[in-house]
Amino acid sequence: MKTGTYIIITGLIFLSGITYPVFSQEETIISPYIQLQYFKDSDDLRSLKTTLTYSHDRIEIPLAGMSISFYSGDTGRELLGTVSTDEKGVARFELPQDQDLPVKNDGLWIFRTEFSGNDTIEAVVSDLSIKDVKLDMVLSEADSVKTITITAFTPGNDGDIPVSEEVVMIYVPRMFSLLPVGEAWLNEKGSASLEFPTDLPGDPEGNLTIIAKFEEHETFGNVERASQQKWGIPSVNPAPVAHRALWTKTPPMWMIITLSILLTGVWGHYLFAIISLIIIKRESKKQKKL
Amino acid sequence: MQADRKLLKDLTPELEKTSTGWYITFAVFMVFFIVGVYSLILQIDKGHIVTGMRDNVVWGFYIVNFIFFMGLSYSGALISGVLHLFNTGWRKPVIRMAELITVISLVIGPFFIFFCIGRLDRLYYLFVYPRIQSPITWDVIAISTDLIGCFIYLYLSFVEDFAILRDYTDLNVPPWKKKFYKILSLGYDGSPVQKKLLSRARTVMASMIIAIAIIVYSVLAWIFGVTLQPGWHSTIFGPYFVIAAVFSGTGLLIILMWIFRKVYHLEEYITKRHFVNVGVLLTVIAAFYGYFTFSDYLTKWYGSIKMDSILIDKLFTEYYTLFIFANYIGILLPGIIIALPRFRTIPNITVAAVIAVLALWVNRYIIVIPTLETPFLPIQDVRTEWIKYSPTWIEWSLTFAGVSVFAMLFMLISKIAPIISISEMQEKDEAEVLK
Repeated sequence: MKTGTYIIITGLIFLSGITYPVFSQEETIISPYIQLQYFKDSDDLRSLKTTLTYSHDRIEIPLAGMSISFYSGDTGRELLGTVSTDEKGVARFELPQDQDLPVKNDGLWIFRTEFSGNDTIEAVVSDLSIKDVKLDMVLSEADSVKTITITAFTPGNDGDIPVSEEVVMIYVPRMFSLLPVGEAWLNEKGSASLEFPTDLPGDPEGNLTIIAKFEEHETFGNVERASQQKWGIPSVNPAPVAHRALWTKTPPMWMIITLSILLTGVWGHYLFAIISLIIIKRESKKQKKL
Repeated sequence: MQADRKLLKDLTPELEKTSTGWYITFAVFMVFFIVGVYSLILQIDKGHIVTGMRDNVVWGFYIVNFIFFMGLSYSGALISGVLHLFNTGWRKPVIRMAELITVISLVIGPFFIFFCIGRLDRLYYLFVYPRIQSPITWDVIAISTDLIGCFIYLYLSFVEDFAILRDYTDLNVPPWKKKFYKILSLGYDGSPVQKKLLSRARTVMASMIIAIAIIVYSVLAWIFGVTLQPGWHSTIFGPYFVIAAVFSGTGLLIILMWIFRKVYHLEEYITKRHFVNVGVLLTVIAAFYGYFTFSDYLTKWYGSIKMDSILIDKLFTEYYTLFIFANYIGILLPGIIIALPRFRTIPNITVAAVIAVLALWVNRYIIVIPTLETPFLPIQDVRTEWIKYSPTWIEWSLTFAGVSVFAMLFMLISKIAPIISISEMQEKDEAEVLK
């Protein structure tokens, strides 16, 4: 066999095993999903959140850098603002506190989010009706029993109307997510009470953040009220015994000694070689003088 | 300093004139290099999203190339150091190539680390805030120490040749080259004192670079070995990497011998004997390398630790072709070609070497990638292409750019100093006279 043939066969064997992406331009138009959510935080700051995604191989993929418009009102919509989606496909619009929102007869705000589409992605809109709710939380302690009292009212023409037969979730934030600690069912007076557990670890002072929430409520959206209280067990986290100690500030002594010996030995020899070269140079100068 | 006229006549023409073929070849490599630079600019501009690396497979072609080039370098150091120390007679025409492999690979290898780093602007933290406990710091210290050592060793081997070229009056080269030889020869004129000093320094540095090569490549292996990742956590990774490096370096040496013999018409100096000797060395190392490979996978397979089992299963399914090529064809075929006398021709030995080098690169690939595709925690709701690594054209082009720079540096150096050491060859003549 000729050498060239050998090389070709070898190359083919090599290339056959390695996969690389073949990019193909798919001409299909993407049909995106749009989701509009309403949020009201503990400081009564309101915001609208739009998530724009599409599905590929049953995996939800975000659409980043898309311009999303937010509107309020049912007829004669008013443009609130335009925001681009981030890498998670999320566009968030903070409603100014003094924003005057048109209210329908039934006390609902109407919001709309719109993506006007482009050459490769279809246009899509989503509407949301929200009723404002005043959510309050009172934390009290009597005879070592810790109680959370929740009240919820919606504004009406003749004063506040209690929210009844609805559930408010109670959470305590932990390291990775919110820990549910109870569900408060609102009675006909718009009020609910529940006992808070006594065995939750807090920070070193025993502080806990307690959050009451309407979650993805079809009328109220996401509304929360948070409060901090010393209701937790003060946590004491002693530093674990570092058996290997390689992440401590100072390396183990044996490591310093080994490295020093190795480097001194090696660089000592380098020095010897460099000095030899210098002497060679001097020798030539001496020879010339002679 | 005088040298044999025939040696000078045979080995210096390439310093005096450059053929059109040389320029064309150089231009082709330069194109690859320019495409690589363009890819790098794109990568810096758009970020690592343009590569196939994602959250799970954070090491791709770049680390494979880094290990590969560093391996070539250490093997060059080991081969040249051992041949020098043992004063092997047949070493003389090939030792310079081994020395050049050492330095050139060592210059190219670390660049692949730079390509792999997401925040290059923070690179200086490694030097400003080093932690001696970190294997990455060991690597930085080891590679920089090795680089300086190899430069010194290479320079020591060039001093005599520079002196010969300086004093060769018939050498038709531009004045800057003459000046270059004059400066770098350090006034060496072969006096007994100078000869003794140079010889002693070379012997010291030869033994030193052997030790450094073993230590440094072991450190590189420990970056993998000290982690608890499936497939990497192995006590034999140090020696396994060293043997694998020598395997690839020996293969590359044969390839370079074949190329320079053909292109520079060195048939009289690089003979079949040299190919057979280096080929036998390749076969012996292939046997050791195969033994280490088998030991590593056997103990992992027999141990049946869950993640190791998943990894080995993956190697024999998804990576079947690559695994068979790297660990069966790449080890057995070179051995068979060289071991059987009827196949032992120069082209066959060269083909065996090409297979060995490619197989070793693939071996590095299947050490790095499948392990990262086998994480301890299950991955849910992640895009398929984020779990499975596929190199992009950016990574391919930077890989080819690395190979091109290697070739270009070799070509350039061969125009500054003879690819076969004149002083080494002359020593041979003197030894024969003494005989």
